[in-house]
Amino acid sequence: MAAVGEALEADRLLVGYAGRPVCGEVSFRMMPGEVLAVVGFNGAGKSTVARTVAGRQEPLAGELRVLGLPVMPDSAGFRRQVAVLFDEDVFFPSLTIREHLLLVARGHSLGSPEEAVDAELGFFGLEDKAGVVPDVVSSGQRRRLLLAAAFIRPSSLLILDEPEQRLDPVMREGLAERIRQRADAGTAVVLVTHDPRLLVQAATACLVIDEVVEQVDTERGAQFIAGS
Amino acid sequence: MRVPESARRSSGSSSSDGPSQLLTREIVDFTRSASRQYHRAHTSARDVFVDVYSNALALGVVLMIAVSFVLTLRDELAGRSLGDTDLVAARWQVVPADVVWLVLTCLALVGIMSLARRLGPVTVTRAEGAWWLPLPIGRGRMVLPAFRRRLMASGGIAFLAYVPFSVLTSPDRSPTVHASSALVFGVGAVLAVAGAAILQLRPSASPTPRTWIVLGLVPVALLPFLTATAWPLVLVLITAAVLLAQVIPRVGDVPGVELQRGGAVSGHAAASIFFVDTNELRRALTSPPRHSASRRGRRYYARPTHSAVAALVRADVVAFLRLQPLPIAALTWWGICLGLALLTPALPVVVVLGVVLVAGCSVSAGTGTVARRIAVVAELDTLLPISPFLVRCSRILMPALAMVLWMGALVAVLVGLGAGPASLVLLGVIAGPGMGAGAVRAATRPPTDWSTPPVETPFGPVPQGQAASLLSGTDITVVAMIPILLALYLGAVHPWLLIAQVIASAVAVLVQASAR
Repeated sequence: MAAVGEALEADRLLVGYAGRPVCGEVSFRMMPGEVLAVVGFNGAGKSTVARTVAGRQEPLAGELRVLGLPVMPDSAGFRRQVAVLFDEDVFFPSLTIREHLLLVARGHSLGSPEEAVDAELGFFGLEDKAGVVPDVVSSGQRRRLLLAAAFIRPSSLLILDEPEQRLDPVMREGLAERIRQRADAGTAVVLVTHDPRLLVQAATACLVIDEVVEQVDTERGAQFIAGS
Repeated sequence: MRVPESARRSSGSSSSDGPSQLLTREIVDFTRSASRQYHRAHTSARDVFVDVYSNALALGVVLMIAVSFVLTLRDELAGRSLGDTDLVAARWQVVPADVVWLVLTCLALVGIMSLARRLGPVTVTRAEGAWWLPLPIGRGRMVLPAFRRRLMASGGIAFLAYVPFSVLTSPDRSPTVHASSALVFGVGAVLAVAGAAILQLRPSASPTPRTWIVLGLVPVALLPFLTATAWPLVLVLITAAVLLAQVIPRVGDVPGVELQRGGAVSGHAAASIFFVDTNELRRALTSPPRHSASRRGRRYYARPTHSAVAALVRADVVAFLRLQPLPIAALTWWGICLGLALLTPALPVVVVLGVVLVAGCSVSAGTGTVARRIAVVAELDTLLPISPFLVRCSRILMPALAMVLWMGALVAVLVGLGAGPASLVLLGVIAGPGMGAGAVRAATRPPTDWSTPPVETPFGPVPQGQAASLLSGTDITVVAMIPILLALYLGAVHPWLLIAQVIASAVAVLVQASAR
C-alpha cells in the first residue's frame, strides 16, 4: 500500500505484450518533486514501462499506484493529474499550433489560457509559427509543440518518453531547466531518455532497465548510457 | 530561457473542479469552428460546386441503373411459375421462400452489427484521440455527434438497400408497404448499431452479451415482413427509443483504448475506400494478426525437409493454417447459394448462378488473407533461392485447396438436389485451383498508379488503370468458374465442358504463377 504523499509506486511490476514480459520486475517509489530517469538499451522495455505507468497498457503483474490510487486512465481525475509525452506525431490537420495549445489550456481550465499559450510559444520558440498548421513546420518544431502541450497543463505526474528526440542542443538545455523547475513546483517526473547530459541535469534518481532492473544514482545512470 | 509564469503557477494542481459537459462542448465547438474556418479559407466555391455536381451526377446514374435492374428483375419474376426451368429438381422444394428472405434479413442485421462493432461504432479520430482524450473532461459530447451520424447513416443506407429487396421478394405489395418495410428494416439497422455500441462498453467481456444481442435481432428481422399493419413500425421505433435512451448517455464511458481502436479501423477503411483499394479494405476490416503465434501445424513444420521448395511449401501451408481466419463468410455464402437454389421457382436459374458466381469470387478473395499479408513485404520472396515461378505456385497451393473443398462441397450438394449428373462435382473440383490462383492474383495486384491523370466517367473521375487493377484476380476467378456455371445451367457435363474447365483452371494458374 502506498504511503500518503507518494506520487508513484511500482511494486514488482511486470510489463509486456500479449502476456510476455519485455523486462524483469520493476519496483520503485517516487515522491512529489522527484525526477526519475529511466534508461536502457533499445528494446529493453523503457517505453513499455512508461506506457504502463501512463495507463496506455495493462501491467502483466504487480502493483502500480499513482498518487496512492490504481491507474485508471479513463477517469477524469487521473487525466487531470497525469501528463504524458510519447513519440506520437498526431495533430488536427486544420488547427494551427496556437489553436492546439489553446485546446489543451482550455481543456484544463487554465485561468488565462491566451497568456499561458503565449508564454509556451515563447519558451519553445514557436511564436513565428503560431499561426500555421503543424504539418508545414519541421519535425523538431512539431516536437516542441508536443512538449509545450505537455508543459502548459498542470499535472502531479509528468511522463516524458525520450523528450530530447529531434531537439537541438540549445532546446535540450532549456528542456532540462524546465523539467527541474516543474519538479521544484512539486510535480514528479518520469523521464525516459538516452541523453546522459539531460539525465545529469534534470534527474534525481535513475532506473536502469537491463537484464536486472535496478535503481542507481544519476552518475551511474549517465555512465550506463555512455557505455551503451 | 524563461519559464512561463502561468504554467509555473498551475503546476501540481488543477484549477478545474471536475469534468464539465459545458467545457467539453466548448472544446468540441472550438475545434470544429477552427477547422471550419481553415477549410473555408482553403476551399473555393468552384471546388464545392464541382464536388456537389459530380457526386450528384454519379449518384443519379447509380440510382437509375439500380432502379432499372430491379424493375426488370421484378417483371421477370412475376412472369415465372412452377414448371419453369430450375437449377435443382422441383421435388426438392423444401425451403419456403419467406423463410429464406427472413434468414437473409436476419443475416443482414447481424452483419450490420458485426461491421459496426469492427468500426467502433463509438470512435474518435487519431487527432481527437491524441488531443481530446487526455483532457480531464467528460467524453460524451466528444463522441456523440459522430455516433449520431453513424446511426442516421446506417438507418438511411439500410432503408435504401431494403427497398429493392422488398420489391423483388414481395412484388404484390403496395409502394406504401414497401416503404414501411424498408423503414422498419432501417430502424432495425439502427438497433444493430446501438447493440454494437453496448458491446463497446465492456470490450473484453465474455461472448454472452454479443449472443444476446444477436438473439435480440432475430425477432427484429421478422418485423419487416409484418407491415400490413402499423404495429411493427411502432414496436421497432419504441424499442429503438428505449435502447438509445440507454446507450446515448453512456457513450462517454467507452474506454479510451476502444475509442481509438474503432477510430483507427474506421480511418483505415475510409482511406481504403477513398483510394478504391479493396485489398486494403479487407486488411482494415479483418482482425489484426495475433501477437501470440498459433501452434497449428507445429509438428508438420518441425519435420526435416530435403529441398528448399519443400520447405517453402511447408511454410506456406503452416502460414495458411495459422493465419487464415475462421471460414464464417465462406460457410455463409455456401448457405446462401443453397438456400437460393432450393427456392424453386422463386428465382430464375441465371440469377441463382449469378449469386454462385458472386459467392465464388467473394470466398476466393477471402482465401487470399495470407497472400495479402505477405504482399506487403514483397521483398521477402526475392530473398529466397528459388525461382519466382515456384514461389508463386507455392502461394497458390492452399487457397486452391480451400477452393477445391468449397466448390466441390457446393456442387456435390447441388448434384444431390438434382442439379445434374455426379460428374458435375469433378468440374467443381477442377475449378478450385483456378479460383485459388484468382485469390492470390487479387491479393498481390500492384497498387494503382495515382500519378497519371484520371479518366472522367459517369461515376466521377477515376484514375487510369483503376478498373483493371480492381478486376485483377476477379478476372481469372470468373474465367475458372465459367465452365462449371455453364454445366450447372445445362444440367449436364459434356466432354467439351470438361476440357474447357481443365484449360480454364490451368490458364488461371499459369497466368498467376508467371505474373511479375
